[in-house]
Amino acid sequence: MTPGYVDDIISDIKSFPSMSDAALKVLKLVDDPKSTASEIEEILRYEPSITANILKLTNSAYFGVPTKVASIRQAIVLLGWEKLGKLVMTTCVNAVLDKPVRGYDLSPGELWQHSIAVSVAAELLVKELNIDADNEIFTAALLHDLGKLVLGDYVKEDFSAIRTAAGEGTPFQAAERRVLGTDHAEVGGRLLELWSFPESLVRAVRWHHEPDSAEEPGAIIDLIHVADVLCLMIGLGAGTEGLQYKPSPAATKRLGLKPRQLELVASQTLQWANELGGIFQGNR
Amino acid sequence: MKMGREGDVVVTHALGSCLGLMIYDPSIKVGGMLHAMLPMAKINPQKAEANPYMFVDTGVVRLFKEIYRLGGKKSRLVVKAAGCASPIGKDEMFKIGKRNYTVLKKLLWKNNVLLDAEAVGGTVSRTVHFHISTGQILIKSGQHQEFSL
Repeated sequence: MTPGYVDDIISDIKSFPSMSDAALKVLKLVDDPKSTASEIEEILRYEPSITANILKLTNSAYFGVPTKVASIRQAIVLLGWEKLGKLVMTTCVNAVLDKPVRGYDLSPGELWQHSIAVSVAAELLVKELNIDADNEIFTAALLHDLGKLVLGDYVKEDFSAIRTAAGEGTPFQAAERRVLGTDHAEVGGRLLELWSFPESLVRAVRWHHEPDSAEEPGAIIDLIHVADVLCLMIGLGAGTEGLQYKPSPAATKRLGLKPRQLELVASQTLQWANELGGIFQGNR
Repeated sequence: MKMGREGDVVVTHALGSCLGLMIYDPSIKVGGMLHAMLPMAKINPQKAEANPYMFVDTGVVRLFKEIYRLGGKKSRLVVKAAGCASPIGKDEMFKIGKRNYTVLKKLLWKNNVLLDAEAVGGTVSRTVHFHISTGQILIKSGQHQEFSL
């Protein structure tokens, strides 16, 4: 444990640039049952790139809208509030997650591709398991590795110590904690807390590698945990630490997940992740 | 699946649990690489129809057929495997890498083919560069030194 690092890391968390104002405003409106489509249109009127990406996503096969959508109003009517929220979030975090991540050896776009894949895999698991999961799962999955953006420089600095700590059989986040005093899941949770995200979402990010340690285990945490490991296994976002993470048998038991279902979801994830991730490729 | 001729470098990134199978005929300098995600096509027949290379059982057969079509001869083939990693812990559900390797070995054994070399298992995610002119296969994973398989 190196407490000096923890102070530095916390100060980095506090100075980490927040998401755009427009995004946070729209997300607040989406959560408010009294808000109207006109209010959202008004905010997005001044955000052409967010609008363009929302429309591109709306027209992707993943969201399954049968007609070509050309306006935000039409998107709201056809998708509904909840899906619109997902789209706004996806659009806004793209800029944050698209960067290269030092320390974890992720090249530009790799963390983004991994994050979108985990969102897709988590939703496919919900469908396959017929679970009544909260709508927050997509957003929580999208943001689960946000902490890597803050912690990456520290991981790079102390990589050999972390690798030694990881040794045989120690999960990578536990090794981070041993050397740096915190891990990327905790840092991500703190960031979202600071940005006033809902508690359930903060918990899902905080415990995505250790679902059994959460004070209140829940389906969202378990689903993101499984989806994350699965995406690393199929080569989406496996950085320098590779597959040095430990899936929780208790989490799969709580979900009632069978090996056949896990493989089926793996077979479906890549195509959707490529389709959604690819929409933003022209922006890079 | 990607095939290559003299001068080509066939590359696949981040194998993770997936199987990377490289076959090479040194006499005519033709080679191919399969990147298969899951052991058996029966898990998703619709997907297998569209993309048989996603599965070890259907992909390996296609890879061999393709190299024969390009003039490769079974007696001359050099066959090497990479990937098939797994996360840590004992949960068998997540040992897809191990299952991929088992299906590969069964298929090869049934067809009297031996692996000439392999870099499989562990928790590392491997990237493979296959130089068709020389048959050299370079493997890189995480912070580890690149090596020739």
